[in-house]
Amino acid sequence: MKSKKHENLDNCFEVELPETPEGLKEVSDTLKLGLSTDEMLRVKEYFKNLGRNPTDVELNAIGQAWSEHCCYKSSKVVLKKYIFPLEHKDMLLRGDAGVMSFDEEYAYAIRIESHNHPSAVEPYGGAATGIGGILRDVLAMGAQPIALIDPLFFGPPDMPHEKLPEGVKHPKYLFAGVVAGIRDYGNRVGIPTIAGSVHFDPSYTSNCLVNVGCVGIGKKKFIRKNAVSSPGDNFVLVGGLTGRDGIHGVNFASAVLTEKSDVEGRPSVQLGNPIMKEPLIHSVMECVEANLVEGVKDLGGGGLSCVCGEMAIAGGCGAEIHLDKVPLKEEDLAPWEIWVSESQERMMLAVRDENLPRVKEIFELYDVPCTVIGKAIPEKKVRLYFKGVKVFELDIDFYTGGPEYTRPFVVKKREKTKERKLPPPPKPEELEKIFLTILSDLNVCSKEWVIRLYDYEVRGRTIIKPLTGRPSHQTHADAVVLKPLEDSYRGLAIAVGSAPWISALDPYMGGVISVDEVARNLASVGAIPHAITNCMNFGNPEVPEVLGDFYEVLRGVGDACRAFKIAVPSGNVSFYNESPSGRILPTPVVLGTGIVKDVRISASTDLASSDGYIYLIGETQENLGGSAYARIYGIEDAPPVCNPTNAFKYVSAVVSGIERGIIRSCHDIGDGGLAAAIAEMSIGGNVGVDINLDGVNMQEDVFLFSESPTRWLAEVDEENHEEFERAFAGLNILRIGKVGGKNIDFFKAGKKVLGVEIQTAKKVWNETLWKIMG
Amino acid sequence: MNVADVKVCVLRIEGTNCELEMAECFRRLGAQAEILHLKQLTGECSPDKKRQLSEYQILMLPGGFSSGDYVRAGAIFAARMKNALMRDLVDFVEKGYAIGGICNGFQILVELGLLPGIDKTYSEVPEVALGINDSARFECRPTYVKCESSGKCVFTRNIRKGRNLLIPSAHAEGKLILPDGKADEMLQRMIEQDQIVFRYVDYMGNYSGYPWNPNGSIYNIAGICNSTGNVFGMMPHPERVFYRIQHPDWTQNDIGENVGDGRAIFESVLSYITKKF
Repeated sequence: MKSKKHENLDNCFEVELPETPEGLKEVSDTLKLGLSTDEMLRVKEYFKNLGRNPTDVELNAIGQAWSEHCCYKSSKVVLKKYIFPLEHKDMLLRGDAGVMSFDEEYAYAIRIESHNHPSAVEPYGGAATGIGGILRDVLAMGAQPIALIDPLFFGPPDMPHEKLPEGVKHPKYLFAGVVAGIRDYGNRVGIPTIAGSVHFDPSYTSNCLVNVGCVGIGKKKFIRKNAVSSPGDNFVLVGGLTGRDGIHGVNFASAVLTEKSDVEGRPSVQLGNPIMKEPLIHSVMECVEANLVEGVKDLGGGGLSCVCGEMAIAGGCGAEIHLDKVPLKEEDLAPWEIWVSESQERMMLAVRDENLPRVKEIFELYDVPCTVIGKAIPEKKVRLYFKGVKVFELDIDFYTGGPEYTRPFVVKKREKTKERKLPPPPKPEELEKIFLTILSDLNVCSKEWVIRLYDYEVRGRTIIKPLTGRPSHQTHADAVVLKPLEDSYRGLAIAVGSAPWISALDPYMGGVISVDEVARNLASVGAIPHAITNCMNFGNPEVPEVLGDFYEVLRGVGDACRAFKIAVPSGNVSFYNESPSGRILPTPVVLGTGIVKDVRISASTDLASSDGYIYLIGETQENLGGSAYARIYGIEDAPPVCNPTNAFKYVSAVVSGIERGIIRSCHDIGDGGLAAAIAEMSIGGNVGVDINLDGVNMQEDVFLFSESPTRWLAEVDEENHEEFERAFAGLNILRIGKVGGKNIDFFKAGKKVLGVEIQTAKKVWNETLWKIMG
Repeated sequence: MNVADVKVCVLRIEGTNCELEMAECFRRLGAQAEILHLKQLTGECSPDKKRQLSEYQILMLPGGFSSGDYVRAGAIFAARMKNALMRDLVDFVEKGYAIGGICNGFQILVELGLLPGIDKTYSEVPEVALGINDSARFECRPTYVKCESSGKCVFTRNIRKGRNLLIPSAHAEGKLILPDGKADEMLQRMIEQDQIVFRYVDYMGNYSGYPWNPNGSIYNIAGICNSTGNVFGMMPHPERVFYRIQHPDWTQNDIGENVGDGRAIFESVLSYITKKF
């Protein structure tokens, strides 16, 4: 690669772009731009027309802006097809986070994204900075963050070391590190970590998934676009200093992991500082609420380069930036490093001249750095100066535009007609063993080990908590309910859904059922589903089958959201989640919100009475595909199906039953099937149940462990049962049992087919993670 | 004085993060609560933001991770207060005004030497410590505490001795440790002077070990006051259970008037101030 020093600067270079494709590729590789040959040809063409060579600053900025992570070049065409057309009356804004109407005066912001690759290399720092980044996305809308949500996916934490592929860190180490990173960042920054999920599957061994979500609330009149308002706006950089941490982070996120990633990817992982973030949130919110800022944007993947360009273009302007004004961690950073660094805890504000003094005063009180680094200009160009010397001048449309690809894809044919291999009906003593095995399975068992490390109550707004029930007998909640406003009982419910195993068998159904799972979780606390944000985790999109899965999952998500009348105001796509030792399951992660009209009507999963009826709501399908039972016992079967239009009727009926107070407690049926769900309710209420299987026309084990979607268990007081049955007229319900005693017992034709003491169930359900993680 | 005239200072620095819910508890009861940055009391700010501690009758130090707790929980906040405010603080205490510290705030009061405050307003060096939990884990869990105060502590005068309250904990460093060799004597003196305010109990009301005592604190101590009763610190968070619907098991029962177990602590200190001043 040929380059020469900039005539007036020692730390800036002019790069000669060779004529040959090979030569161009070499430039991209040498500078770690992550650009393909075709993309380099486009760059070459642009500078040829300008009649000059690019600087290293310009090339780095293009490499960053055109990465998959920044411009969604492989996914945009699919999102445009299935997600962007979805409309919703309450959707106010799409931006760094999506904004939804909460009530007349307030809006909430919601976003989820991935921090997979940094966490695979450096679990503690990767997860912590993931939290930091998602907080800023929400803050950038002018909303106060009020909740953090963390869906996590790892290889089996009890996997033997000798089975670990080369260069891969042990799942137990990754799990512990990620959880510690979330704990230390989230707890310190004072935003409650209220929900999430932990999934384990061998496919995540060499590429764990760390998705981080955040929800915030703010007055509608202060919600801001991530944009400058007009020429003359000052770019005010606030928060942490800029350093060499996090250089080329987005390019690292947009490539397949290799056994060398540990060493080579390390500089791409940023360093987090929650004690800078905490006052940063305060000071930004104070400026927003005093109406002193025109627009806010988060400095995350892509650094100053992305932020200045995107804020300017969104406001119909250009930008002029003085890189030497940027406060640095170390003095000798080159201009290109300053421009693309992804150092943490930084935000950009667009501020009019007259508001600058008050903005500066607010940041000074909180001891948060605040520096004017440039201005919005009328021309649609971005110009950079370093010590008075111009080092960069690009048309803003060109560099923030980025390519968009319609890559080839195939929808993989799955053998749906394959003969089912249902297990023979188990004997009663075998049934008990299966039940306890499923309860203790990593994907079903209690996640208390994780949950109690997170402060889920700071801010005092958590009304239904992630662990619910009497302090001595707590169980998992389906969704968490927050009461975001001091003067209103209106609630915001938050839940997570993901169906990787079903997605692997039928990606379209995986998409539908992920949304169904969120909707039924929200319904069971009494919330009408309102919005989702999603993080789509897939392998390499240049592999047609991977992209085919992506198309199908999104088609499913889109169809489900339309049927459930759910908005999708934001989302994130994470590709390249694979390594030479394997590819992850197609993993859609859906974070949903629902509105609770009055938090005082919410229901939780712990049984509340000592003699109520138990109803099964919804239809049980015989299919076991994708269930915990099938995975543990090697049962091959097709996955269940979900009809979202039908499901929406059930969701509405469940919410109405809770609002009217005729459902005392409610639990959706998910991992581990009906048997696991009833055990969790029983454990939470510390009271037993007698379940009668007489009305069931399928093999008991199939009925008990099927994970058919759109189902709930509801506890109904005897005096309300007629009203309940009337309310569900036309829908599938079955009164299957009664609360009472100290055992979880199942009967058929008067004979007990399965019986376990609550204490036994509680013990096996509780101890799995504690035993492995210590 | 009237409750509407009572001014509460809720003090914060970077990393303090329970100030809003703390201030709200006082506002819900009709008092004025102001959230101040420490720099507003030490004068390192613009003139319109400056405040004097003497303008307030109650000083609250909320929970959080002040300065990240990277040195020792509460140590940096305490050091910054000691430099600029110690005389004001001593004066505040000696006039009979109330200081409360929750969680990180309790740790700060211990670091400041204002607690345990046995037979003196403060000690130059901390006499006790809040150490790392026995479990070596951050513990976010519901805990029960039994009120042990016979009336000395101004934050619990409305709470009957022997009553059990559900007040949740969330901390990594909450184990009260007394110095070797002096532990028995100090504990005895604190008991005699009615300085033990709350002790951890299980759901039946019995003194019990982990997880009911979430940190391994000596004598199951969850909260203490000084010998004059007007400086008080506790690890669990009463501001998180002001309402019944903030309890973890509220869905199992009728919420009645929606009164949570933490509320009486705020009511107690406000009625103390309104009666005395």
